[in-house]
Amino acid sequence: MTSLDLALASPEELVAAARDGDVVLRDSGEGLDPLTTAVWLAGRTSGTKIGVSFEASSDAMREKTLDSLETLTGGRVVVDADPAAARALRRDGIDYDGVPVPALEPGDRSFRGRRSTYLRGGSPGLVLQPRTPSEVAAALEFARRHRHLPLGLRSGGHGISGRSTNDGGLVIDVSGMNTIEVLDPSARLVRVGPGATWKQVAVSLDKYDWALGSGDYGGVGVGGLATAGGIGLLSRAHGLTIDHLRAVELVLADGTPVRASATENPDLFWAMRGAGANFGVATAFEFEVDEVREVGWAKLVLVSADLEESLKQYGAVARNAPRDTTVFLVTGPPRQGQSVIQLYGMVDSDDPDVVISRLTPFASIGMLAQQQVVITRYADVMGEAADVGPEGQHGRGEPVARSAFVPVLTDAFARDAARLLRSGQVYYFQLRHMGGAITDVDPGEMAFSYRTPEMSVAAMGGDRQGLDSQFDRLAAHFDGLYLSFDTDLRPERVADAFPPPVLARLRSLKHRYDPTNLFRDNFNITPSTPFTPFATEENS
Amino acid sequence: MTDYGHDLLFGTFVTPAPGAVELAQTADRAGLDLVTFQDHPYQPAFYDTWTLLSYVAAQTSRIRVSGNVLNLPLRPPAPLARAAASLDILSGGRFELGIGAGGFQDAIAAMGGRKLTPAQSVDALAEGIAIIRDLWDTDTRSRVNHDGTYYNVVGAKRGPAPAHDIAVWVGAYKPKMLALTGALGDGWLPTMEYVPGGPAGLPDANARIDEAALSAGRDPAAVRRLMNFMRMDGPPSSWIDHFADLALNHGISAFIIGGDDHAMAEALAAEVAPAVRELVKRERGA
Ligand SMILES: Cc1cc2nc3c(=O)[nH]c(=O)nc-3n(C[C@H](O)[C@H](O)[C@H](O)COP(=O)(O)OP(=O)(O)OC[C@H]3O[C@@H](n4cnc5c(N)ncnc54)[C@H](O)[C@@H]3O)c2cc1C
Repeated sequence: MTSLDLALASPEELVAAARDGDVVLRDSGEGLDPLTTAVWLAGRTSGTKIGVSFEASSDAMREKTLDSLETLTGGRVVVDADPAAARALRRDGIDYDGVPVPALEPGDRSFRGRRSTYLRGGSPGLVLQPRTPSEVAAALEFARRHRHLPLGLRSGGHGISGRSTNDGGLVIDVSGMNTIEVLDPSARLVRVGPGATWKQVAVSLDKYDWALGSGDYGGVGVGGLATAGGIGLLSRAHGLTIDHLRAVELVLADGTPVRASATENPDLFWAMRGAGANFGVATAFEFEVDEVREVGWAKLVLVSADLEESLKQYGAVARNAPRDTTVFLVTGPPRQGQSVIQLYGMVDSDDPDVVISRLTPFASIGMLAQQQVVITRYADVMGEAADVGPEGQHGRGEPVARSAFVPVLTDAFARDAARLLRSGQVYYFQLRHMGGAITDVDPGEMAFSYRTPEMSVAAMGGDRQGLDSQFDRLAAHFDGLYLSFDTDLRPERVADAFPPPVLARLRSLKHRYDPTNLFRDNFNITPSTPFTPFATEENS
Repeated sequence: MTDYGHDLLFGTFVTPAPGAVELAQTADRAGLDLVTFQDHPYQPAFYDTWTLLSYVAAQTSRIRVSGNVLNLPLRPPAPLARAAASLDILSGGRFELGIGAGGFQDAIAAMGGRKLTPAQSVDALAEGIAIIRDLWDTDTRSRVNHDGTYYNVVGAKRGPAPAHDIAVWVGAYKPKMLALTGALGDGWLPTMEYVPGGPAGLPDANARIDEAALSAGRDPAAVRRLMNFMRMDGPPSSWIDHFADLALNHGISAFIIGGDDHAMAEALAAEVAPAVRELVKRERGA
């Protein structure tokens, strides 16, 4: 490490020193400006670190600069944070001296990229980053000592319903557990860590001509989606993501590592597929994946002056589509009476004629304005998601979203959905065509039990009350919801996510596996108090 | 007919957000003269523009870089002068100082800046420019003192000296700011979409700058007239006549285009710049 005096060093000397190894810039108030020089050196060199101190015109400007330094230089400009200042950012009620695993606290540089998620702004007091199941157990022991604080579980950071970040609480972030390995090529059995993204999974499987249907966005993480459902572009052809799960390993609230499959802890295996976030921290998933070669991938943009009619037609076309075809519809509030409708869909076929014949009926539900149809790889479709770089995720605020399953897309539903969009309370409205292979699985097989709806609806709004008041008006058309797309915290939503017998079973399993309700960041199932005529440990 | 006879500059107006470095590199490779970035530190999606400028200067080799325009209330003059001179030295004389009085007072206050009325912020900018120029001037060894209403500098050492005469380009629209530009600026750097009256408003604005320059005892031609275009419609080849007209009849000698589009930057350098230069040269020669 070379220390360089900014009053004396020439640009050439600075670059030469920084090419040789890490440097520290010393400032005596004369000569080159420390921050400017540090950033410039980072831009001129690669790999080496540049240590510097600088003054900013305000705390907010300092924060802004630190953010940009992290992003632009990939953390290579190291600002010697005054340790006292860093400690001042700590939150109350956290035993910072007793943190058992690698962790980030608010004064740490890399904390910035981890405090928020893709859609949600946050400022947790501590982000624990366990790398192994035993470190997860240690993190959970720490969490049990901090029952007074919110606890979020985080894998890929794309939670909507899942509060994987919070304000002043703890986050257990398993994004580092992201390995992907093939266990048995002949059985197409793969083992995936919760921190992998679906884009990474798709790339790994692609070379075998395999794919595992996930969602529609490759940036989403395995941990959150594979514990909830996974309604995606291959769902009608191959089923939900969780339909492919053969085993899952998790750490329970008390720190016990367990494996759940059809033969090991089958109750837990049932619960983990649909309500997983209530039962433990998943540390590995084993999936049987599908053989998928080229697929047809389409993005169509249509314009419609009669949204109600277009929705009806979408329903009719979708209803008659073969199961190799999955087409989602997205629209927003109509402008001057015109709705812009985006359709995007996948056909599990590499035959252009088949692809075109499957998509053609969809193209007539409005006036076709743009179309893009390609024969491509599932991995390329997932690859459209941007990579998250060292800058991490910088969501702000709280997403406002509702979800529902629609058993049949009726004319009345189309009418009311069009009204919902005209209300202006929904800026993003999506219909996902279900059916096909989703219906092959018996509803009793796993906690996710809505197998027969024709459509899944998701709506995002800017205002909680505004969205709820409009969305609630459609309740008569709904039966159930997909928890991953809903941020409503009113208790009746949990009952929508799980029909009564399912919820009752989940509550009794919750009592068995997480009696103190440690895991509660995502559609919390409260443990049932079992009826016992005699005093037990819990109620004595 | 107004033409101050400056050589013509072409550049891009890049959003200071992810992708900005690559856009600057494209502009550099394509042979454009300038790459510039807005400065709205209170906009969460944006980078800190100073950090970005420093990084872009290191990642490019010949293009000039500038804020468009830097927010003085959040970048006080004395540290800014030092930073600007440093960046000029490090980049081999490729930095120019686009600067403004700062528009969004509430947002500035939220970032810890001082809340000023529009009139006060013009006066503060005049003080700021004087301080910056003084600190850059190392011909004399005397310390710099400024006892201003908005900025105080007491016994500051001068320097470092910039590698070249850094131009001070002022973002200005209203009469007071235009007068300041004419009196103190090396350039006027507005955005076409915001010029009151659009192109038809140019003669009036130019006249105000000219008048202020003359009453400060300066040649109006000492103030280069630059222009941002947030968006240009149509293919780049269709901009040529428009730009030549602005150059020959309104004295605009720098064309800075937004849109964050790599292909646009390449076309601007390859097609538009040579054609506009050719047309203007021909007319000026005539
Ligand atoms: C842009 C976008 C597109 C989406 N598209 C689809 C789609 O097409 N289909 C679909 O089905 N879903 C989709 N989703 C929803 C997504 O599946 C959920 O939000 C999911 O929870 C995200 O997982 P994650 O690991 O990225 O999120 P995180 O934010 O890391 O986690 C979200 C929640 O999942 C739970 N969780 C995370 N990790 C674990 C773990 N290791 N063990 C137990 N529980 C855990 C926790 O409750 C946590 O709060 C989409 C979301 C976004 C933001």
